[in-house]
Parts: sequence; structure tokens; C-alpha cells
Amino acid sequence: MSGSGPTATLWSPLGSLPLAHLVPTGLGPWGDGMARLLLQPLDLLLLVGLVLVAVQSGRRWSDRLGLVLPLSWLMGGLAGLGLGVDLPLEVPCTAIVTAVGVLVTLGPVLRLGELLDGRLLLTAATGLPLLFGLVAGSSLAGHVGALPALLGEAVAIAVVTALLLMVLAAPHPRWLALGLRVVGSWIAASGLLMLGWLSRHPL
Amino acid sequence: MPERRRMGQCWGPCHRALPRRPYPLLAALAALVAAVLTPAAAWAHADLHPGGGFVAGFLHPISGLDHGVAMVAVGLWGAVLGPPALWLLPLAFPPVMALGGLLALLGVPLPGVEVGIALSGLVMGLMVLFELRPPLWFAALIVATFAVFHGHAHGAELPAGANALLYSLAFVIATGLLHLVGILLGEARRWPGGRALVRLAGAGVALVGVWFLERALV
Repeated sequence: MSGSGPTATLWSPLGSLPLAHLVPTGLGPWGDGMARLLLQPLDLLLLVGLVLVAVQSGRRWSDRLGLVLPLSWLMGGLAGLGLGVDLPLEVPCTAIVTAVGVLVTLGPVLRLGELLDGRLLLTAATGLPLLFGLVAGSSLAGHVGALPALLGEAVAIAVVTALLLMVLAAPHPRWLALGLRVVGSWIAASGLLMLGWLSRHPL
Repeated sequence: MPERRRMGQCWGPCHRALPRRPYPLLAALAALVAAVLTPAAAWAHADLHPGGGFVAGFLHPISGLDHGVAMVAVGLWGAVLGPPALWLLPLAFPPVMALGGLLALLGVPLPGVEVGIALSGLVMGLMVLFELRPPLWFAALIVATFAVFHGHAHGAELPAGANALLYSLAFVIATGLLHLVGILLGEARRWPGGRALVRLAGAGVALVGVWFLERALV
């Protein structure tokens, strides 16, 4: 673990480099990666939005989503780690999250179940986490303990996705359907504010 | 309609026919509302919480009387209007408010922001006080217009901290919870004397609006 070389650099829990994209939690890179999901919540908003779209579409592909979403995020993350360059994709990623939030808010109006077919949903649930994982991985690249941090966040994503799917699995009461739309509106609103913030303070 | 009434939903003037139920949560809610209405500072958007982060974003809307009462009034008015306005107004408010914030962050000026915010409290307070029920599209238009003013004021002061998304998310959640407080308070209309309580709350919101209007104009 404490040896030299790229493997040791990836796994070392004793990070000596400043972790610009990881908040030190005192739990090591693994815990830092888990905490990243909450402390830099763009990935969290995406996964919540995708789960809500899935629930609203009323299709029986929730089991697949629980597997596909974290796995594709992890694949993207590993690819991003390999890139070694911080991809400046905050604006398009935030715009995607905002769009997903709008989709959830307008879900019943748009009749998502009829508008989106299973393949399109599955493509979105694969492609978007792949992109977001790529960005997350690229931002962690070069940090000490990047791989365990990435794995920690992937596990957190898997757990949160599974919990959300379990709790929100259709059929659900009317008040919960409204609650999902409210959460969608919050995601969209946060995304809009973030887009404005990014325009004023480019990273 | 009879089916809906059996389920305990209030549709317009039927509140008198609804069964009287004790509201054990109301005392806790009243305490929460009191906490919301007792701000550390009078102006929510006076940038008291520099830096990013969830706590700062969460405290920003609830620490100012002008923003706080208007958000509660949205929920109160939604409760007075009944479904679908009950959920449509709080659903529409955050994105439209964020749109106002986006305009501010993009540098688009909006004249009379403070006056607009003060008017939001006054107008929505009066709507609750007099239990006015305009058409849904008109109610949504009023709320959306005021949402832009609130959003513009807050967007202009979104801090340049490192965690803007967390700040924005917490800010939006706090705003949504203030709507929820208003809705739950509005549900007191089912309670004996609750209707008067809600109208009284509307009067209070309107008075706060007048106070801020005077401050904004002078």
C-alpha cells in the first residue's frame, strides 16, 4: 500500500497531494469518495433524477437501473481516471441535470411512459452516468487514493439508487407522485442557479 | 366529488362540512412558523452567510423575514385555493425563482426588486386574508411574477464559494420547506377556528409586506 508506483499512488490512503475534488472526512479515500456524492451533489442529482424518471415512466426496468446506473458510472469513472486530465464539462453536466429535473417536474404532463420507450430510458441510464463518471474520474485523476475514492463513490451511488428504487417503486400514492414532481422542480431550480453561477464564476 | 369529500379533501367552501379532527402537529408547526418568522436579520438577501455550503444555503431563505413570509404565504394561498393550486404553486415557484436567479447571475437587471419582494408579501397576504380565489392561471401568474423578484435578489448574492451547487440545492430545499409550512398551516382550516387563524396569518403576512414596502420606497 505504501510502496511506490502508480498502483500505490492510486490506493494509498495517505494522500499527500491536495485533494481539490475530495473533502477529507478522516475516513480515508474510500470514505472521502462516499462523502463526495453528498458534498459535490451533481452526480447525486443526476441519479435521483434518473430514478424519478424511471419511476414516473412506470416501466418494469427498475431492477436493471439499479445495476446499470452505478456500473456505467464506475466504467466512466475508471476511464476518466485513465485520462489523467480534468475535463471541463461542468456546464453541460449541470445543463443535463437541469433538463432531467424539468423532465421529472413535467413528467405526468408529458406522459413519460408514452413519450420514452424502454430502450431510450436504458440508453439514458447508461450514457449519462457514463459521462458523469468520466467527469468525476477525470477530476480525481492524479490524486492520491483516487481509485478507492472512485470505488467508494460508486458504492454510495449503488446504495442510494437501490434504496430509492426500493422506496419509490410503483405503484405509489398520489401524494408521493406529487412529491416526486416537487423534487424534480428542486433539481431543476438548483441546476438553473448553478448554471448562472458557472456563467459568473467560470471554473 | 362526494368521494373526494369522504377522503377529507377541502374543495372551496366545503371546509365547514369536514369532520373536526385534532391536529397534534399544529403546536409543533406553530413553533416552527414562529421560528421562521423570528429572523436573525430583517433582510434575507443581505449576504449574512458568505461562502458556500449546505448550511449557509439552507439558512439564507429562512433567516430573512421578507423572503420567509412570502414563501409561507405561497403555501397558505395554495391551501386556500385548494387542489390543484395547492401543489401547483409550490411546484412552479422554485424553478421560476431560479430563473430569476439565473437572470441576476447573467447580469440582466430587474428594476424594483425590493419593491417587488415587499409587494409579494402584501399581495399574497391579502389574497389569504380575503380568501380570494382567482382563476388558476392568474394565481400562477402572480406567484411566478413574484418568484422572479425573489430569485433575482437571491441570485445576485449567490456567493462565490467553492460549493455553489450544494448552496443552491439547500437554498431551494429551504424555500420548498417554507412552502410546506404554509400548506400545513393552511390545512388548519379544517380545524375549529382554523379558518380565522389562516386569515390572521394572511393579515400578518400583508402587514409585513407593508412594512417592507415602506422600507423599500423610503
